Amino acid sequence: MIFGFLGMTYEFKWSVLWVQPHLTWLIDGISTTLRLAAISWCLAVLLGILFGAMRTVPFRPVRIVATAYVEFFRNVPLLVWLFFWYFGAPEVFPEVVRQWFIRHGIEFWSGVAAISVYHGSRLAEVIRSGIQSIPKTQLEAGISSGLSVVQTYRLIIIPVALRLIVPPATNESLNLLKNTSLAMTIGVAELTFATRQIETYTAKAVEALSAAALLYLVLCLSISTVMNRLESKFAIPGLIARGVKAEH
Amino acid sequence: MKRSGMILLVAGLILTFAAMAAAQCPSTLDKIKNSGVFTIGVRNGSPPFSFINKQNERAGFSNDLAMLVHKAIEQKLGKQVKLEMKETAPATRIPLLTSMSVDLITETMTDTRPRRDSVDFSLTFFVTGADFIVKKGSPIHGTKDIAGKRIGTQQGSTNERVLREKYTQAQLVSFPDQAAAFMALQQGKLDAYCNDAIQLWGLKYKSSDPAQWEVVGDWISYEPYGMAMRKNDSDFRAVVNNALMEAIEGGEYFKLYEKWFGAKSDVPYPMSQAFKTFLLYQVVPK
Repeated sequence: MIFGFLGMTYEFKWSVLWVQPHLTWLIDGISTTLRLAAISWCLAVLLGILFGAMRTVPFRPVRIVATAYVEFFRNVPLLVWLFFWYFGAPEVFPEVVRQWFIRHGIEFWSGVAAISVYHGSRLAEVIRSGIQSIPKTQLEAGISSGLSVVQTYRLIIIPVALRLIVPPATNESLNLLKNTSLAMTIGVAELTFATRQIETYTAKAVEALSAAALLYLVLCLSISTVMNRLESKFAIPGLIARGVKAEH
Repeated sequence: MKRSGMILLVAGLILTFAAMAAAQCPSTLDKIKNSGVFTIGVRNGSPPFSFINKQNERAGFSNDLAMLVHKAIEQKLGKQVKLEMKETAPATRIPLLTSMSVDLITETMTDTRPRRDSVDFSLTFFVTGADFIVKKGSPIHGTKDIAGKRIGTQQGSTNERVLREKYTQAQLVSFPDQAAAFMALQQGKLDAYCNDAIQLWGLKYKSSDPAQWEVVGDWISYEPYGMAMRKNDSDFRAVVNNALMEAIEGGEYFKLYEKWFGAKSDVPYPMSQAFKTFLLYQVVPK
């Protein structure tokens, strides 16, 4: 091997990645990661839009509730939340409900709960900044046109805010995908778990962890490509300054 | 002039790397001699082999055996050496060993043929097999009852591998360490937890209510414990093996066994005659 002159005694063996059953583990891991990320993302977006908007309404009690949610959930590490939702939260439920959860993938759903609530609080801040960057005149114009506050938000403010927040939202979405790897601490067999498994069974750390890095890179690049396309496709002409076309 | 400068630079780099190559992978004894530190891999929650006791100190049967090895190393090198203990886990211990973060893994590592491709093992210092720990009154009594049940294991352990390969009907849930798995068992999220029998006895006796737990099953795998070290390091291996042989021959080993597994200990586990014979036969003549 070319590194022999460095005195390295490591032997590369890339076939550990595609030999069965390792390949099945990797594929199962990818599918679990994608499922976990997709479901958590949908919930996080819903929570984010809800609480982000709530932080901007003129009614103080609503704002306080939303602020409490955001500050409470984003200021604790996600790993602690994972342990809480898996070891702590289920104990509150009656025995029958708990047993039902246990028979139906409690590890996965605790992971979904922890990740979606945590990232929901972070997305709420992203969405709040998007909404608050829209001039107050838009809200006043909407109300003076006869729409209620809720309608103004739903039909005017939030659609524009969503376009404004695509870059930071992409950032948060990629963070969400990468944070699914933490779920392995509560027993979810996702991608990082699968590559660690290959590593412990074969002691080929470089190959296994390169596979993990490469797969996450591919997944994240795909998402950011899609988000870039979305950004271009849904752009409101003239709304955001783009360095592409000069106006004549 | 520039071109010859480049050639000189490249030649210089190659020579440096070659020199580094010669200096790479020092033997463990040299490393310990130069740094003055002997690092062993231990566990936080694997009683009675390697754990943190109620006084918040590191203790355990494996830890005590490692201290005998430490004394032997000091004798061999003729100087004082500091003993450092670093936490390792099944999933991390081999990388920590090969990257030289620890010199010897002395906790509860099973000696297996695939693992011998990556590390070398000392003599076997304990034998056990994998069993299950369940709540008292559980319908699980052995491997014939585990189909469709949620069985917990530690990520990267030999038990996980055995269950995955031989008992595919069981639903496997893998946790990073024993503490998380046992908590899940206590909360009813698992029907059973699979680990080496002796460690399960340790868990049972160390739990807040030992009567609530049962260790069931016949050994579903054979788990001989050995101390793991880096490959191709015969001098160090000889020191470790000699230390273990001295301990068995001189009786120190049996004293330690009585301390941790005797009738008055927390985890009573009488030594079988077969194991005693095996231990004595491992001691080659002086």
